[in-house]
Amino acid sequence: MPAETQRTLVLTVPDWSATAAAETHGWAAHEPVAVLRGGRIVSCNAAARAAGITTGINKRAAQLRCPQVRITGWDEDLDQRIFATGLDVLETSLARFTVLAPGEVSIPLSALARTYPSEDAAVEELLTTVTDATGWEFFAGIADSVFAAMLAARTATRVLPGQTPDFLAAQPTTALAYADAHTYGELVTVFERLGLDTLGALAQLSEGQMRTRFGTLGVQAHRLARGLPVHQPVDHVRQREHLIEVPISPPSTRGDELSFHARAAAAELFAGIRAAGLVCPSLSIELVAAGGQRSQRTWRLELMDENLVADRVRWQSEGWLAGQSAAAAEPVDEGLAEADGVCALTLAAAELLAPLEAHTSLFAQRSGYVTHTLERLQGLYGPEAVRVPQLQGGREPAETNLWTPWQQQPRPERSAAAPWPGRLPAPHPMIVDRAPVELLDRQGMSVIARPSGLDSTPVLLRLESGAEFGIVDHSSAWPVEAGWWDPARAQYRVRLQVLTACGQAFLLCKEHGRWHITGRYA
Amino acid sequence: MDMSVHHAVAADPQTLRKQLSRLPGVTTARELFTGPEPLPVDGMLAPVFARGGLPRGEILSVTGTLALSFACAAAAKSTREQHWCAAVDTPELAVAGLAELGIDLEHFVHVRTPPADWQRVVSILLETFDLLIIAPPAAPSPQERQRLTAKVRERRASLIALGPMPGSSESCEVSVAGWDGLHAGTGRLRACTVRVRHPRTGEHLLTWPLTPGATSVQQLPTASGAEAATCRPAHPQIQVIDGAG
Repeated sequence: MPAETQRTLVLTVPDWSATAAAETHGWAAHEPVAVLRGGRIVSCNAAARAAGITTGINKRAAQLRCPQVRITGWDEDLDQRIFATGLDVLETSLARFTVLAPGEVSIPLSALARTYPSEDAAVEELLTTVTDATGWEFFAGIADSVFAAMLAARTATRVLPGQTPDFLAAQPTTALAYADAHTYGELVTVFERLGLDTLGALAQLSEGQMRTRFGTLGVQAHRLARGLPVHQPVDHVRQREHLIEVPISPPSTRGDELSFHARAAAAELFAGIRAAGLVCPSLSIELVAAGGQRSQRTWRLELMDENLVADRVRWQSEGWLAGQSAAAAEPVDEGLAEADGVCALTLAAAELLAPLEAHTSLFAQRSGYVTHTLERLQGLYGPEAVRVPQLQGGREPAETNLWTPWQQQPRPERSAAAPWPGRLPAPHPMIVDRAPVELLDRQGMSVIARPSGLDSTPVLLRLESGAEFGIVDHSSAWPVEAGWWDPARAQYRVRLQVLTACGQAFLLCKEHGRWHITGRYA
Repeated sequence: MDMSVHHAVAADPQTLRKQLSRLPGVTTARELFTGPEPLPVDGMLAPVFARGGLPRGEILSVTGTLALSFACAAAAKSTREQHWCAAVDTPELAVAGLAELGIDLEHFVHVRTPPADWQRVVSILLETFDLLIIAPPAAPSPQERQRLTAKVRERRASLIALGPMPGSSESCEVSVAGWDGLHAGTGRLRACTVRVRHPRTGEHLLTWPLTPGATSVQQLPTASGAEAATCRPAHPQIQVIDGAG
């Protein structure tokens, strides 16, 4: 076998999200099930496909084609958890496997070569074992690289050794999204616009041209299209095992506590790996329970990010502990299942490769010390004490503010890229406030705002604390009406800028009959 | 530092030079008189400050309406040059406003802690942050003030206090000269003329933001030069004496 190719077998459960959803809700296999994400169907089972539902259509279209289809929302946690419980079964039959994504595992064929006489026998044996054990239907694909095997598994093909470049050449460029949708998404659209419709067309370009035009990402896509591994294997023998053991006392069954420990350990591990100038695309996580049982799993990581590791530890532990308590059907000791928490966690780099280029910026000044200081503050005052700013979509500063605690993933509720008609123009207020106030006119009555404007001129602004400001000038009122078609989401408010005698300007908003301050120009 | 200079005046130049070169952190003669290089500020704000930028190792107090906007505008250029800035216990800031002033959101952090603990938080932050904007609930006692100024000087950080702070080396009073754009209920706020009074550089008039129609979000305040020139008194210049002889 040539040194650069790793012949891999990929076992995948097609339509995994729909299968997991059906299993959770207890629906039978013949009922059509579809999973909705972001308003579009991302996964539907065979029964739904027979009724005409495909991925990419919206909920209304799906219900039109098949009125009795059961639709649920996509839940990543659910997908991972259900798959993790099934993987325990796989561990008995497979010696070494890596979890690529929920519903997909990859096994290097070199590991199977010793046990089974030929590839066909190996695949047949494995497929029957896993299908019997978990009850899910698996498809198998074999090819010379992991990416090609993933594509082959979608059609249950076996690519003969050496035929991988030809197999890949026939695939459309959108197949790159299977490798990593987030990273390659934009690149795929660019390729399509340049006329590179198939991976074969992409592979015909030279590596130098790809690097000049698209940089490292383009070179990675190019290597995938040719069936080569993205990172280079390291030539020399690994000098040092990159491994971290974290004892957890008292033993814990809580997934979030384990993921907290895992995050810190992963940060240390990755720092050590980066310092050695290497890249770790797959990580092995081992959990040891107080009773001595072990659960080890290898996960593929797209990036060396400790948050990804924390999530995977949580999924693995939740899946394992759920499986354990189910298995302990006749506990000898009543408290055995609960007390049997995880007492040790080991993170080990399963694969170490040389990266195509260095990833740290030369200009990040002292960011390591800043992290240390901010984490210290978070340790003293809680994670909400330190927050970083981001912009999200919205019409006013109260809506566009997104303050995320340091080192947490931001979760914007509204997209900043979408157009927001009726947005407040510059200058923006500096302080966001939410205090109810009274806005009175000359007669001492509250100013009424109508779509055509204000009924009377505002003269006095009274805060809840009793402080009063005389108003010298005000802007025209801007009404905003949104979501009127859905009573649960309907918003109607009127915005007004007022200027007080002392020079302070406020942004007011009238909603549900009450005036509030939403911004202060300070 | 002042004491050692008085004593050394009588001694001969060689020992004077040796004594001065032993001062911690001071490497050039210019630094003795002018202090460390100030943190950069946007071009139009530079005339406001005594040294053309935010003084390092010192406390600047900003008072008046629009004090917070002024402090953020002063910090904007430094954040773009990779200096980290933290706002401690200020009211919730509008990110759109920060972005408009030109602050680099990647180098800005907002810290919310119990107000009574502000000194501890500030001393932790001073270890790595170059710029701090604080809004202390009450002025510190003399001992606390001494500790704070010593720490700020040692770290060469720039502390901007919103509100009067005794012990600050520079202070700016920001007030609104006028808002325009509201035409008695038919317009909207468009621009504000801000008056900044500094004891050493005098009075400056700035417009914030630029005229509408500018597409860039990073709108820098502009200075109306004529009035600024007439109001500013000549500030004393410290000349560096060449050739210690």
